[in-house]
Amino acid sequence: MPAATVTTSPTPTPLSFPAPIFAALQPSSFLRAHLAPDSPSQPSLRANGRRPSEFRKPNINTGSLTHSHGSAVVRIGDTAVVAGVRGEILLADDIPNPPEREKRDFDTNSTRQESRGSGADPSSKGGGDADADAEADSLAHLQLLVPNLELSTGCHPSHLPGSPPSSLAQSLAQRILSLLHSTRLVPLQQLRILRPRARSSDLDDEGDEMLDPDAAVDGDGDGKVKGWEVVAYWTLYIDILFISLDGAVFDAAWGAVVAALGDTRLPHAWWDADRECVLCEEDGAQARGLGLRGCPVAATVGVFAPGRRGVVGGEKEEESWMLVDLDAFEEGLCREVVTVVVDCSGGGNGRIHRVEKNGGGAVGMGRMRHVVRSGEESWRNWAEVLGELGS
Amino acid sequence: MPAPKTTLNPLRRPDGSATHSQNGYTIIGAVNGPIEVQRRDEIPDEAAIEVNVRPATGVGSPKERRIEQVLTTLLRNIILTHDYPRTLIQLTLQILSTPSTHSTLPSASSLPVLPALINTAYATLLAGSIRLSTTLAAVLVAVPKRFGKGEAVIVDPDPEEGGSELEAVARKGGLHVFAFDGRGEAVLAESEGDFGIEDWEEACEAARGVCCGLQDESPDVMEVEGAKRSMVRGLRELVKGEVEKEGRWRGEG
Repeated sequence: MPAATVTTSPTPTPLSFPAPIFAALQPSSFLRAHLAPDSPSQPSLRANGRRPSEFRKPNINTGSLTHSHGSAVVRIGDTAVVAGVRGEILLADDIPNPPEREKRDFDTNSTRQESRGSGADPSSKGGGDADADAEADSLAHLQLLVPNLELSTGCHPSHLPGSPPSSLAQSLAQRILSLLHSTRLVPLQQLRILRPRARSSDLDDEGDEMLDPDAAVDGDGDGKVKGWEVVAYWTLYIDILFISLDGAVFDAAWGAVVAALGDTRLPHAWWDADRECVLCEEDGAQARGLGLRGCPVAATVGVFAPGRRGVVGGEKEEESWMLVDLDAFEEGLCREVVTVVVDCSGGGNGRIHRVEKNGGGAVGMGRMRHVVRSGEESWRNWAEVLGELGS
Repeated sequence: MPAPKTTLNPLRRPDGSATHSQNGYTIIGAVNGPIEVQRRDEIPDEAAIEVNVRPATGVGSPKERRIEQVLTTLLRNIILTHDYPRTLIQLTLQILSTPSTHSTLPSASSLPVLPALINTAYATLLAGSIRLSTTLAAVLVAVPKRFGKGEAVIVDPDPEEGGSELEAVARKGGLHVFAFDGRGEAVLAESEGDFGIEDWEEACEAARGVCCGLQDESPDVMEVEGAKRSMVRGLRELVKGEVEKEGRWRGEG
């Protein structure tokens, strides 16, 4: 019945698509249509329903991996990442050229007292400034922090499982490594394993317990022990696996690293002179935390400027939006991205530890302040969740 | 401090090349493009950009991958990639010499070498006649805040002079790299250390003065001061010299 089909067919309507097809065909216009709605009564929202400056709250679970010394699963939106910290013992004798500073005598009293603090405790920040600096140099020299990041887990179609680390994975691992060192997050003193300086008389008439620094301090504090030397170090292997990838890669990875390090409990280790090796306590009660310095948090802000297409600075000022905490769809549309690492745990205004801005010139002085404020907001967001874990 | 020094086209074979010295680093860059692109990397409406950074010793590590990623993002914005659809622009940067304080540790900061790499990349692209949307100038800034009150911002610090202090500055105060385009907008900012937003702004202003101080100072002042010329001005003179050399056959004197 050809006549019937003609009558039932609707009058030609203007071309319209369902939203997913619009998003796939014209992603930029799609996002712009959300941010600048036609009627002023509608709020300016992103395609994912968030306001431009709205962060997502991360979900964090710690201690999920039983075979690691510390672990965390972080989920932000559809990005899920697991970080595990595993400590391995590195004998000081196996280090070819140890820093001079590491050959001196150590005062176990001060070391031990501070080591009792655990978790992200801001009060443990500080110590002598010059001392902390030299310590950071030694930590970098000894290379005791080894982060590795794995993207080829099937987390995203663009990262094939089983392939060698992509350049993105390598550069993310590098960013985490350099941030771990420049923030001085992990104190070196927590990674040292000490023994008394060998003196022939001591070794003969004292038993094992004298060779345990804790026993010496907690016990009668025998005056015979003059100094302590480093016998070994804990090397922390930090493995970061992405289970699912949907934007905010660095923020999630760094959050997972901080949470996992905060969760890390290293077993009590001492030098056994008879067996001539380092032994670890089986009992978990004696394990101690790392006493992290501060709690730096990474926040990423993207600039969405639909008018500027690959050109730095158009003739006239183009409309643009600052979007925080991007998902993968938005990351594909924001050419200019700023990542700031902020720490407000010292109170007052946040200290900036890292700025990585690239891809365009839209973020100048004024907007940088805005970005840092967003970073501080993100810090409060994360600190709340991390704080709940600590208590 | 030795002023940044650039030579255009020291190599014959590539489409464009340049050597550049800054902050104690000497880098040679070569660009080939537009050339045929692998099917995998092909982009339908713009050119793919590949940056290879080779260290002074050994083979590339994750540190170089990170620098390559930074440079690729930066240059994609500067090169008029839409003028070269479905092609590849391949840039190779080889670090020739490093200052004695250069640290090869994996965790060492890559910021001291970054301005030299950016400026080499830009000069190389110029020499290769790749169409660009704007100029580019990068500079290193150290803000040694906690060394003492009232200590000034050091633009373009000399790594040989300060000894290993640059690394210490990076941790205590702040070490920044800024790159500015022709309109004086910061197209790249990489900072590390421990600083507040005011310190960052101060560093940014100081860097802008060095990179694009063309408008602010009259030519007479430049003659008198001599040594302290902005990078954009230096670049102009360089390009002017090159154009004169290339146009000798016209006999325009």
